This record gives sequence, C-alpha cells and structure tokens, in this order.
Amino acid sequence: MSAMGDLAWLTVADAAELLRAKKLSPVEYANALIARAESHDKNYNAYLRATPELALEDARRAEGEIMRGDWRGPFHGVPYGLKDIVDYTGLPTTAHSKILQGNVAKADAVVTQKLRAAGGVFMGKLSTHEFAIGGPSFDLPWPPARNAWNRDHFCGGSSSGSGAATAAGFLPAAIGTDTGGSVRNPASMCGVIGMKPTYGLVSRRGVLPLAFSLDHVGTLTRTVRDNALMLDLIAGHDAQDPGSANHAAGGYTAQLGRDVKGIRVGVLRHFYTRDMQADPEIADGIDAAAKKLSELGAEVREISTAPLGEYIACNRTILTSEAFAIHEKWMRERPQDYGALARERLMAGAFVRASDYVNATRLRRKLTDAFHALFSELDVIITSSSMDPACRIDDPKAVEYTYGRQSRAPFNITGSPALSVPTGFSKGGLPLAMQIVGKPFSEALIYRVAHAYEQVTEWVSMHPTLV
Amino acid sequence: MTTGNLTEDDVRKMAADIGMTRLTDGHLQELLRATQAARARRASLPTDTLTPADEPAHVFSLTGGDGQ
Repeated sequence: MSAMGDLAWLTVADAAELLRAKKLSPVEYANALIARAESHDKNYNAYLRATPELALEDARRAEGEIMRGDWRGPFHGVPYGLKDIVDYTGLPTTAHSKILQGNVAKADAVVTQKLRAAGGVFMGKLSTHEFAIGGPSFDLPWPPARNAWNRDHFCGGSSSGSGAATAAGFLPAAIGTDTGGSVRNPASMCGVIGMKPTYGLVSRRGVLPLAFSLDHVGTLTRTVRDNALMLDLIAGHDAQDPGSANHAAGGYTAQLGRDVKGIRVGVLRHFYTRDMQADPEIADGIDAAAKKLSELGAEVREISTAPLGEYIACNRTILTSEAFAIHEKWMRERPQDYGALARERLMAGAFVRASDYVNATRLRRKLTDAFHALFSELDVIITSSSMDPACRIDDPKAVEYTYGRQSRAPFNITGSPALSVPTGFSKGGLPLAMQIVGKPFSEALIYRVAHAYEQVTEWVSMHPTLV
Repeated sequence: MTTGNLTEDDVRKMAADIGMTRLTDGHLQELLRATQAARARRASLPTDTLTPADEPAHVFSLTGGDGQ
C-alpha cells in the first residue's frame, strides 16, 4: 500500500482498517496525499490554503496514539479538508473573498472540533465560491477550483474545492456547505457522493452563514460508506446553534449492505422532464438508476409535487433576503472588494420587500408540509441534481445558463436530507448524477438505497487522470 | 410590481436611499439586473394560494423548561 496512486484512491473505510491494523502509517498516508496535491493542484486549485505542516503534526500524533493502541475510531489518521467558510483555530476563514482575507478564526467550528477529536488529519482549507454564492470567479484573490475530470470544466459550487479535491484523490473526505445545493452541485459535477443532511442535524456554529434558515453543513466522499462514516462523526445536537435539531443522531452505516426489496421509491420526473428539460444523458442516467433499483426489488413509481420553479423562487427569495442582511454593511462600505458574481447575486436581496420575504416563508411551510406528506406512501424519492453536465469554466454564458438549471434548492426549502450519487458519465467524459431524498432524519435509509445502487454499478471505481 | 421599467437611475436612487453610495456604474448595472431578477422571482411566487392562516416557516415555539 505504499504506492502513491493506491493511497490516493483509498476509501476512509479501507484506510481505517489498514491504520488500525498498523499496516498503514498515518504519516505515510498524509505524505502521499500532500505530494499528490503538490504535484497536481496547481492545475485544479482545489486548495485555497494547503496546510501540510498541520497535516503532518496530526499524522504524527495519530501514529503515536495508534502505535500505543489508542485507536480513536474510523477517522483516526484519515486526511480531510474544510471548505473555507468553516473555522479552524488560527487560520483565516476567507470565504474566498478579499473582504475576509485577514479574518483569523479564534475557535474551531463544531464540525472541526468533531473531526479533530476523531483523530482526522487536517490537510487544509478548500476553495469555495465567494461567500458560498459567487462563482466560478476569476476576479478574486485566489483562482476558482477546476474539475478533476477535465480541468477546462466547472467543478460546481459553492463547495467547489471540496468536490474537486475529493475527486482528484487529494483527500478521501471533505466538508462542504449547502444553502441552495452547494454540496450536491460539486458532488454531481465531480462524480463523488455529497450529502446535505436534514436541516439542523449538523451544527452550523463556526461556519460563516449565507442564509440562516437554509444553511446546512454536509459531507463529500468517494463512496457511500465513507459518507455515512463521516456523517456519524459530525451529526448531533448543538444547543448553541439556534437551528440545531434536538434529535437522535448517528447509526448511518447501520443499514449498509441490506437489500432494497420492498423499499418504496418515488421518481420525481417532472422536475427534469417538464419543469426543466434536462440534458438527455442526465435524464437517461436517472431513469436507468430507477430501473436498476426496480431490478433490485424496490417498488418504483413516478410521483409528482409542486413545480420546480415554485421551490426555486421560494429558495432564492429567502436566500437573497437573508444573505443581504448579512452583507449590507460591506455592500455599503466595500462593494468594490467583492467579485462581480457574488456582488450581483447578493445584491438581489437589496430590495426584496418584507412582505415578499414573509410570503416566501409562508409558501415554504406549505411546500414543506406537502412534500413531507409524500412520504406517507414512500420511503425515498429519486430525482435530478444538475440538469447539465459540467460546462466549460471559461464560458460565462454557459455558467450563467447552467447555474440555475438544478433541482437541489427544493430540499433546502423542505430541509429534507438529499444525497447526490453518480449515475455514470457523459459522452464527453464528465460525471452525471441523481439525488436520493428522504424524509427528515432518514439518512440511514438514503445511504442504504445509495449503497445498494453503488454496489451494482462501477462508477465508484473510476477515477480521473490528473494533469 | 412590474419588472421591465426599472432603470439605472432608479436603482442608483434606491441604492442611495439605503446607504449604498459607493457603487460604480458597473455595480449599478449589476444591481439593476439583480433587482429585475428578484422581482421576476417574486412575481412567480404563487402568493394568491396563501390564506390568512398560512403561517411563516419561521414561527417558533418555546419550550416550557421547569417553570409553572
């Protein structure tokens, strides 16, 4: 297991076994991934700030503890990265913006605390769209992350570095955030697994907000099992996060390996066939996945809900209003210090009337109640994520066109757990994906269905060739 | 609530009214596009389906704690 290429594609689960058995040194593992990023990340910009010195410090500590028999669990000695809106004590949290270049974190975010307590090896801060909304941008202090499958293409966002780094084999697990789809978009574009958990399941304390009532912290990994393992570590009630759910957390790997016979799967096709017309390769991928689940014994049928446009208009009205409340002071004093994309997207909240915001939240409750009612006759729903494969990153018109062509925002409105899962590749060699969505706190069941699908497809074993 | 009549001069005045006085002409063009897009989204919200009893998603409940 000493070849760098092998270590690059090691899963968290497999690494945990090797590390625990003392067949793999955390220092060797960290050094291999550091070297890989040093060789290739100049072409992908996944890291905003790589921290090899901190990684080796963590790795040496983990090695000493494991050698003494003090194994902390499946994340002990495992490398990870944080989207650069998540605080890590002593490092700047920049949000990829000139505005916050000197914003040094005084404490760890709760999610950081948990990963450090689990013995993870912190590899660095990962690129984001500016303030988790404006990107991909070329007018910021740091360049935008690029797609590991083809560096000329967009890697999605706003957790762009988290998706790019995971897909590129720079690390096996990363933290992202999701307000309108920002974990699932890079997961979809980069061909990795991305979970936006139930609203409130993971503490947001220490994470720079974009829109309080829609923000979620989530996980990006290359396999379903790894994603479940990572969510196990970071989920849980936080009394100091006003949005935190006081609900039992954990056990997300418990159903992995169980079959899906009798699981009731609703296919939400009108999102990607009527409300928006997805690229045929995307639509075919989802339909093929539905067929595969049916072959595995699931009870699959088509369902419907409110039009996609209603969810998206509701999401954007709330998102821009809450975000502008956060950014108004900087917009008055330092508008020139934003990149153009973030400035324009944030300014959309400047003149939303109070009654429009309140009405959007009233519609949110109606949409949420109606959506959750679907689960009286269903276990999970599958639908589209992005409507198009990743476009070229240097084509602003294509970025603008595809940016809003997605069906992730509905589940920020409803707070439902939603997992992006690869469904194959386009003829151009770019990843395709779907979402698996469940009722609140049903993450374990979503992982079970995703894992069953993953086991009968080959996408997880495919990796990009980096330049 | 029309979406097509807003001009750069309109948004310059609206911006100044909330203290956003440092916007360049380029920024004002961005603000104009952003405001038009926001108004179009607002127009697409089916608010006529709401009844007076439909409450916002944010309405909260208090826990009783140990009090009587």
